[in-house]
Amino acid sequence: MSNKHLFLPSGFIRTPLQNGLGRYIPQLQRITLKFCKNHGGSRGVRDFIETDLMEFAKTNPGTVVYLKPRRHRYPCMVAEYLNGEREYLSCHEFSRAEIQKWLSYMCTRSGIPVMRFRKYQHTDYPSIQGVWNPFTHQAPEINVAQFPHEILSKPVNNGPTATDQLIEIFKKTQIKDPVKPEH
Amino acid sequence: MNELSAINVISKRNFKPRWVAPTLREIKRRKDVEDDRNGGPKIFHRSTFLEWLNYNAEIFAFSNRLGEKFNEATLQTALTHKSYVERETARLSDMGVDSYLQIQNNEELAVAGGEMISKFTNGYLRAVFTHVPEELIMAMHEFLTSTSNLETVGKHIGLGDLMLCSDFPCESETYVKSLKAVVAALAESSGEERARIFVQDLVVTQLYGLDINELWNPADPVGNLTDILKREGKAEPEFRLIKHSGQNSVLAVYYVGVYSDKNFIAEGAGESLEIAKEMAAREALKQLFHTEDSMKALPFGRQLKNIQSKIVQLENQPNLPLSKWISEKVTSAVH
Repeated sequence: MSNKHLFLPSGFIRTPLQNGLGRYIPQLQRITLKFCKNHGGSRGVRDFIETDLMEFAKTNPGTVVYLKPRRHRYPCMVAEYLNGEREYLSCHEFSRAEIQKWLSYMCTRSGIPVMRFRKYQHTDYPSIQGVWNPFTHQAPEINVAQFPHEILSKPVNNGPTATDQLIEIFKKTQIKDPVKPEH
Repeated sequence: MNELSAINVISKRNFKPRWVAPTLREIKRRKDVEDDRNGGPKIFHRSTFLEWLNYNAEIFAFSNRLGEKFNEATLQTALTHKSYVERETARLSDMGVDSYLQIQNNEELAVAGGEMISKFTNGYLRAVFTHVPEELIMAMHEFLTSTSNLETVGKHIGLGDLMLCSDFPCESETYVKSLKAVVAALAESSGEERARIFVQDLVVTQLYGLDINELWNPADPVGNLTDILKREGKAEPEFRLIKHSGQNSVLAVYYVGVYSDKNFIAEGAGESLEIAKEMAAREALKQLFHTEDSMKALPFGRQLKNIQSKIVQLENQPNLPLSKWISEKVTSAVH
């Protein structure tokens, strides 16, 4: 699944201005709701404005809400974020609950455009003990060793060869203490 | 229509007449030609849009977004620029009304705010980087209070749409001035403590993820290390070759270790012996100053609660300069 055929840009998780490190600043600057006062497609928006809008404005005091009644136009919402990005969403024939849902979605986003996350974590300190290099865990003896070396020239962690094992077995079968013939 | 239709993500096929696309293409081509002639597309201030109805609401949202309480008049002053006041007076006098406008501008607030930002940053740096010489503190302070950094901070808290200034698009200096004035306004409205926390949360956090050793490095690390060890009464630093590889090739690498009285301090790597020696001395200094790559993570936000008093204390107390640096005089880190 390559990235070449996707129009969706990909990237790593980031946040504008290290948001949340010091304090959390809600990134939604203002939201504009455009709707028609008559048309049926704006009914959900109108219901939302009549019932849930005040509560929304109270819970998000950092966002300015603008209402624009526009005749004979379909309803939509435009969200503007602190980093200058804008997000448009058509609310035609949405229900009141859907408007609520999409509005809360806009609130919790930063202005960074929607993208495919390559990884769900990010760190600026990928290595604590230091990145491996060929000298890590090497015995210092290699610096002053004359090659070919008895131990260092041989492969590491080889274990006994078949010949060595046979010699071991043979030695075990030898009688260590010869019994003195009783006379 | 049932509710599920709106959740449908697939967009509808839109059959437009066949002359629409070529017409739009031609209009775009003409617009691009005009934009190129005028040096870029025309940008308008947000206040010229029809949706710009309520400056007071924007100010209210601004203070709530940051979680701070501002004195209305002070905040208004902090966001008004001298150029704006001049432009307005000129406009009024053009119209024939010769009145002296009572609006104050943010020059004094900006100066006071700039001093505060500088002071609070220094306090934080000295409280967190207790072992670091003053030269590095100054380099970090220079970075944090630079125009580019403060401009970024100012832009991302929404100052762009709130400032009253005559130039548009606003220059970096304008953003920086507004931010400084806002800090001063906050100190006036809610007290210096809140302003300090504000600077710590917004300006100082830009230090996160930065390699501070890229901001400053001693010019003569070997000499400096020798001086420091002499001052501490330890033996002279001895540089020994630890490892090497690819000696006569382009990809040569030498590892040099610094020893004091046969005790290993640090090692450094380089393409030649001289470079490796310098890197080893730098590593040794980094270890003394506690700024190695594996140093502790910087505290931000809530983690600063316990050292706030220490930060206040160290705001006016510079760290030891490199020429006088000695381990015993440096206080131990609190965090």
